[in-house]
Amino acid sequence: MKRRVAFPVVALVAIAAVASLLVSAASGGPEKKIAKGGTYTVGWESSFGWTDSFDPTGEYLANAFAINTNLLLRGLIGYNHVGGPAGAKIVPDLATKVPKPTNGGKRYTFTLKNGVRWGPPVNRAITSADFRYAVERLARPKNGAQYGFYYPVIKGFDKYAAGKAKSISGIKTPNPKTIIIDLTTPTGDFLMRLGMPAVYPMPQEVAKCFEGKPGAYGRYVIASGPYMIEGSDDLDISSCGAMKPISGYDGQTRLNLVRNPNYRASTDSAKARESNPDRFEFIVNSNIDDIYNKIGRGEYDDSYATASPKVFREYTVNASKRKYLHSNSADGTYYITMNLTQPPFDDVHVRKAMNWALDREAMRRAWGGPVSGVVAEHIIPNSMLANRLKNFHPFRTPGNRGSVTKARAEMRKSKYANSGGVCTAKECKNVLLVTDVRAVDKLTLPIVQAGAAKLGITFTVRSVNGAYPVIQTTSKNVPISNRARWFKDFADASTFIGPLFDGRSIIPSGNTNYSLVGLKPGQVDALGVKGTTKGIPSIDAMNDRCQKLALGARRTSCFAGIDKVLTSKIVPWVPYMWANTVTIISPNVTKWNFDQNAGFTALAHVAVKS
Amino acid sequence: MALYIARRLLWAGVVVLIVLLLTYAVFYLLPAGDPALRFAGKSPTPESLALVRERLGLDQPWYEQYGKFVKSFVAGDEWGWPGLGISYNTQVPVLEQVKDRAPRTLLLILGAAIIWIVLGVAIGVLSAIRRRTLADRAAMGFVLIGISTPVFWLGLMALYIFWNQLGWTGGTGYVPISEDPGGFFSHMILPWTVLAMLFAAIYARMTRNTLLETLGEDYIRTARAKGLSERKVITHHALRASLAPIVTMFGMDIALLVGGAIITESVFNIQGLGWLAIDSAVSQDLPTVVGVVLLGAVAVVIMNLIVDIAYAFIDPRVRYE
Repeated sequence: MKRRVAFPVVALVAIAAVASLLVSAASGGPEKKIAKGGTYTVGWESSFGWTDSFDPTGEYLANAFAINTNLLLRGLIGYNHVGGPAGAKIVPDLATKVPKPTNGGKRYTFTLKNGVRWGPPVNRAITSADFRYAVERLARPKNGAQYGFYYPVIKGFDKYAAGKAKSISGIKTPNPKTIIIDLTTPTGDFLMRLGMPAVYPMPQEVAKCFEGKPGAYGRYVIASGPYMIEGSDDLDISSCGAMKPISGYDGQTRLNLVRNPNYRASTDSAKARESNPDRFEFIVNSNIDDIYNKIGRGEYDDSYATASPKVFREYTVNASKRKYLHSNSADGTYYITMNLTQPPFDDVHVRKAMNWALDREAMRRAWGGPVSGVVAEHIIPNSMLANRLKNFHPFRTPGNRGSVTKARAEMRKSKYANSGGVCTAKECKNVLLVTDVRAVDKLTLPIVQAGAAKLGITFTVRSVNGAYPVIQTTSKNVPISNRARWFKDFADASTFIGPLFDGRSIIPSGNTNYSLVGLKPGQVDALGVKGTTKGIPSIDAMNDRCQKLALGARRTSCFAGIDKVLTSKIVPWVPYMWANTVTIISPNVTKWNFDQNAGFTALAHVAVKS
Repeated sequence: MALYIARRLLWAGVVVLIVLLLTYAVFYLLPAGDPALRFAGKSPTPESLALVRERLGLDQPWYEQYGKFVKSFVAGDEWGWPGLGISYNTQVPVLEQVKDRAPRTLLLILGAAIIWIVLGVAIGVLSAIRRRTLADRAAMGFVLIGISTPVFWLGLMALYIFWNQLGWTGGTGYVPISEDPGGFFSHMILPWTVLAMLFAAIYARMTRNTLLETLGEDYIRTARAKGLSERKVITHHALRASLAPIVTMFGMDIALLVGGAIITESVFNIQGLGWLAIDSAVSQDLPTVVGVVLLGAVAVVIMNLIVDIAYAFIDPRVRYE
């Protein structure tokens, strides 16, 4: 009898030991023991830097997404908060399942789970009306939604936003559990748009007090996830006047989260949220070196900060520390943007020659070397295209160091160049290049200058503290900039196409289609564009075609096709690096994973020694 | 004296208004321009940008915004008096931010000032009365080191040695004295000392020079001829006369540090007014920048006033009526 019992026990122990080793290896955690409890502390560089004061309706900072989706809030759908392709897969969260669209891809029907409740002091069930309220709050322009442009596909959204309807006709809530959403057109990534916190349910009884005050709800966010802001239970919501900011978040230097007593793990999936620590502290620290010192000493566990090259070296060279450094694809591209309307970049051969000439490896080293990212050979990161373009290398050179021979061979085809492949025209002299004043921009600038000089192109450099507003203003007619980078909003390749290359997205200020791909003659005057404005190539029709496709292989292939056209035929960019998120954790962290969707630590899965 | 103070206060008001006007003008002349872009998301439409500008009041000419601010400042706003508005970045009332950050900076300055005035004057006096001795040379060596050592380096080294290696002091960060007096002193001793080093060196040098100059005056010779002890000559006659320029400098240094202890605040993660000013300026948070500048200007004006009044007590030759 004993022997019969003993064998399975030994076997189970062995299996458990092997499994725990595998889990630890997969998570990259330095320690084997995973325990509930403790405090996970994150040092935050300089200031929180929210874009809308942490109010989910407008907040656009990736790290706020990470805190909201992992810890504080729940949406109809969500993600499992893990790294790699698995982290980009949609899973149900408040909804019982991820619905398949009906009515030709235009209708989505959700049913809310039982037992999902708002945290204190609201303390009631989350209902379909809370979802409707969140979307309507987002639609009202005075509430400052910063990515409201994703939702006009909902029928009646624009009409409501314009004040011409009392509600959004495309959202029906026949009972507290059911939500029916009708779209104007099939939109393949719509479910991913629902995975963004602005459309997570929101309790009207609290949020209504901040109508027309963008960002103000940020200090009163009511939890629907496993954690709440510390002191939420002391919030008096008897009237708007009675409400005072929740004590656990001072808006400036500290955000503390504690367990939400109304959260039921049974309504959630452990694959999505393990919720191990009892408490999270996000602490602003003005001294970056101090942040990493404290991580080394175990006073902080993680950071949202840019480590200095010295810190990188310490953690890459020192074998005992290497296990605390994690480098994961951030699904973002760093690039040099060239304006298709401005000479000499109005000539595709010049743009191609720039791609051949640039020393991409040197650019990557300027950012910190391999740990910082992978050399980019096209626009959309391979991680977001399921590696469909992994064999697409239109401008590959040995060691990614650039090739003068190939660059000049291409340049010879340009109207600006002589037979030697060097530009001798006046259009190539003193071309305006806008850069920023950050240390890394000062490092990358000479590399760009050296590459261009081989083609006879020289620059007049304008260094601006905060270069984006300049290159985002079309009337500035900036020919080239090394400041540009772009990260996904959600894990669909469409987020790299529409805002960056669709001609219809070009706007006078705040424009992100810096190259002006798809510019039509009719837009020129309103945008203040001067230069070569005729015959600008467009991918608008291709984008429309891809956008209608449902999530899946065909959609991914479609956007990969646009990438190929852009990279090899239109050539608006010199993409040089697909960035990584580099994370350094403390020896106290017993479990760590990366949240591919948020591009930050998977806070839902971390664990610390308690 | 009362008339003098009233006149100075009136001028102080004018100075503060001019400082604010300049702050507004500088903000609007910054090349990166439109702060509305920061709050309008990735691809804002012209309509959403217009809404942000309207909300922040940026759609009005700068002089109208300035006028509204001055009015609100004098009359107060929904967050209290004086009306400083609300931060663009954090949606936290500027008054609340200033109230939160000011004690950090003021306590930093207070502690450092006590150290540097005591240390600086003591070393200066010692150096002057023991001129050309080993003590004088050591004191001047200290001065040289104090003046030439960058504060950030000194701060980092102090942290490394006394916190990281020896564990004698608390690390970075600010612990309110009301929460944990021991923790407060443990965390503040290094920033106090580091901030005081530079000033102590300057004050030592200055005290030595003025005291040496004073010791050569006729009335000092007279005092000695009267048979007064050297201690009395120094403390009652020479030092008192030497203090006037030191008091002037002391007042101005304290006032300037209200917004100017940025490096110390940054290295020791104290996050006082200096850090708030830098962070707000970088992110174009005009209301907060103006709030901190205003506080700095008021501090300078008040300290000037105090210095002028102190003059009258230190030096009986100075009278205002």
